[in-house]
Amino acid sequence: MVTRRDLGKIGLAAGFAGTFTRPAWAADAAQAAVDAAKQYSGQTITIVWEAGLQSLDPLNFSGPKWKELTGIDVKVVEVPVAEMFTKIMQDFRSGAGAYDALNVIPAWMPDLVNAGALEVLDPFVDKYAYRDELQKIAPTYRDNQMMVNGKIYGFPDDGDVFVMYYRTDVLGDPALQAAYKAKFGTDLPVPPTNWKDFDQVGQFITEFTSAKPYGAAFFRESGYGNFMFQERFRNEGGKFFDADTMKATINSDAGIKVLTDWVAENKWAPPGVEQWGFVENLAAFLQGQTAMTISWPPYGRWAASYGTDQEVMSWVPKSTIAGKVGYAMTPGGHPELAAGFCLSVSSASKNKEAAYLFIQWLNSESVSLERVKLPYALRDPFRDSHFTDPGYAALWPEAKDYLAALQAGANNGLLDLSLLQTDKYEEVLRQSVSKLWAGEDPKAILDAAAAEWDAITEKIGVDKQKAVYADWASKSGAYPKM
Amino acid sequence: MVLPGNPGRAFLLSPLDWNAVAAATALHAHPDRNFRYWLLTPAIFLLLLVGLFPLFYSLVVSFMRIDMMDTDTSFAGLYNYANLFSDMRLWAALGHTLLITAIALPIELLLGLAMAYLFLDRMPGRQIFISLLVLPTIISPIVAGATWRLLFDNRFGPINQVLGWFAGHPVTALWTLNPKLVYPAIIFCEIWQWTPFMFLILLAALSNVDKSQTEAASIDGAGFFRTFRRIVLPAIWPVMAIAILIRGLDLVRIFDIIWALTAGGPGTMTETISVYTYSQGFKQFETSYTAAIAFLVIVILTVVVTWAIRRMGLAK
Repeated sequence: MVTRRDLGKIGLAAGFAGTFTRPAWAADAAQAAVDAAKQYSGQTITIVWEAGLQSLDPLNFSGPKWKELTGIDVKVVEVPVAEMFTKIMQDFRSGAGAYDALNVIPAWMPDLVNAGALEVLDPFVDKYAYRDELQKIAPTYRDNQMMVNGKIYGFPDDGDVFVMYYRTDVLGDPALQAAYKAKFGTDLPVPPTNWKDFDQVGQFITEFTSAKPYGAAFFRESGYGNFMFQERFRNEGGKFFDADTMKATINSDAGIKVLTDWVAENKWAPPGVEQWGFVENLAAFLQGQTAMTISWPPYGRWAASYGTDQEVMSWVPKSTIAGKVGYAMTPGGHPELAAGFCLSVSSASKNKEAAYLFIQWLNSESVSLERVKLPYALRDPFRDSHFTDPGYAALWPEAKDYLAALQAGANNGLLDLSLLQTDKYEEVLRQSVSKLWAGEDPKAILDAAAAEWDAITEKIGVDKQKAVYADWASKSGAYPKM
Repeated sequence: MVLPGNPGRAFLLSPLDWNAVAAATALHAHPDRNFRYWLLTPAIFLLLLVGLFPLFYSLVVSFMRIDMMDTDTSFAGLYNYANLFSDMRLWAALGHTLLITAIALPIELLLGLAMAYLFLDRMPGRQIFISLLVLPTIISPIVAGATWRLLFDNRFGPINQVLGWFAGHPVTALWTLNPKLVYPAIIFCEIWQWTPFMFLILLAALSNVDKSQTEAASIDGAGFFRTFRRIVLPAIWPVMAIAILIRGLDLVRIFDIIWALTAGGPGTMTETISVYTYSQGFKQFETSYTAAIAFLVIVILTVVVTWAIRRMGLAK
């Protein structure tokens, strides 16, 4: 039985092994950070990290390793993701300076920067020669999730992107394929690449197999539904705002189609799917109850049983589908870069330089590669070198295909909406999703949501928000290139 | 000589003695009086610091325009208070709060009273049963809410499973999403957790009712309800009124169970005033507006509680 402490030792051992087997470290950003950080030996830096599996990285791996290399203690403050923004703002507003380094969801950055809560990182980046390695972060994350108003406020550190997972044995079943062709006159698309095909295939599987397995299941719980809506709405051609007037346009035909399709899909998806979040959807897929789903990258690793034999992963249902999973981009070809994390330094920190050096070291090419391979952590590949790493590609038989799907997703992904007071807009979307499951009419829901968005924009200031939206909409991942 | 502080015998003193007493009082009483005030000072200072200062500061903040984007501390007049009246979500939240209070409070009272009657007489294992019944009350409400969320889970929750046994087919009721089920679910949790509180208080009150009076009424042929209305209720009313007041105020402040069960959803259908206030203050950082909401609630509660105290006869 591997304990949490053992994991720490394994992590440390892996770290030392990495140190001695990778001579290139001497010249890289990680080593530069270590060398500079030694002057702060004996100090403690505090970092905010998402509670749960995510924080096992600094607790068991990177924190102890940093202490060993520099003598700096790392105190990890675990905060549920729903509370992170609040905690960071409260610390800043109170002037307490309790946090030195931060995990920040990129969509929050304009708000945090506007409030003055984040430290500009450019001077540190230049001082410690980190620009070259920053450039090697995958372009989607590097170009869209790092800067506000032309200044660096965070290092993209998590390649969150939605991936479509499908059962190769189910969709490849000759009997199912023959029956599909007989019914629709076309070959069963493996995998479906647009929502029309996806829905047709999903419904057909549910009917053909008598729901063993169901054709597909989805995140439907409102917190996750927000991301799903943002992705699908834009893949259907929707725009969030009229760029000239800043009037909300989520109640367009595209928006109504998305919600109407969701209601229709629930009829052939597992009963109660309206409440499914990360765990429910994961359990159903790993236990072979659904043939297709869409989720973040960890599903792919756990479906292949990578690392799930460890004690900290005991809550993950045992995969019954290892070796039977295909990876693809979500229907429409533009997956949501849902959430993700950047590493930042708090402007209220009293140890800014030490905090910066820690995040540079974490984010560096060599250390980040080790971190994204940790089976128990939730950091996903985000550097070009991660996607092509032979060591990663050898972790399970289909890992190379998995990395290719993540890279394709990163290249074509859609950014979360990021404006001033983004959470107010997202809260309306979350409430809209739950209203849909309460039985309200899609058009009425979206009309009300658009009115609420307009009211929020009015309160913030139309011109002010218009400028921020224009900046966001000009980014490569804001809308699909149709 | 009569010592100061023993005025009972003062009338025995002569006018000359009175002068001596006055002089002695002047010498000794003033230092004593000042000293007791000095003793009280730390406690008063602490109370002012943790009680009145935040209240006063919130009032000041409610006249500013501090939000997530601006920390504008200049005087904004009644800007936030004016916005209260056009904020439909606020009034809807107040309506949801009243709805939950209006349904849960009478049920908790009646159930608590019935349980108190049940346990009034001695019976084997009475103390053990009472201890077990009180358990929900000692659980943190947020833990209770999270537990009930698991119990109500449509996929893994035992409630749907048990219902499925009776129905003969799988039941996948969406307890926290279906508009017809979500309020019953919330109110059921609230009643489950807080009826024992009513029960305990009413049991104590009923135990103190003079049995000779109820026995006399029974001998005179008075039925249960007549005895209750004429003898028991007047006797337990002061305690019962306090219990109603405490639980009523708790229900108006209801937050934890709602937050854990529905977070105010679906949409904002179950958003109570506390949930809305929290959301505005700590998720949207509408600091000044939240302070104005808080003062609106304080004013409403002050009026209601004052009226209730008079109406219930507690002011006598």
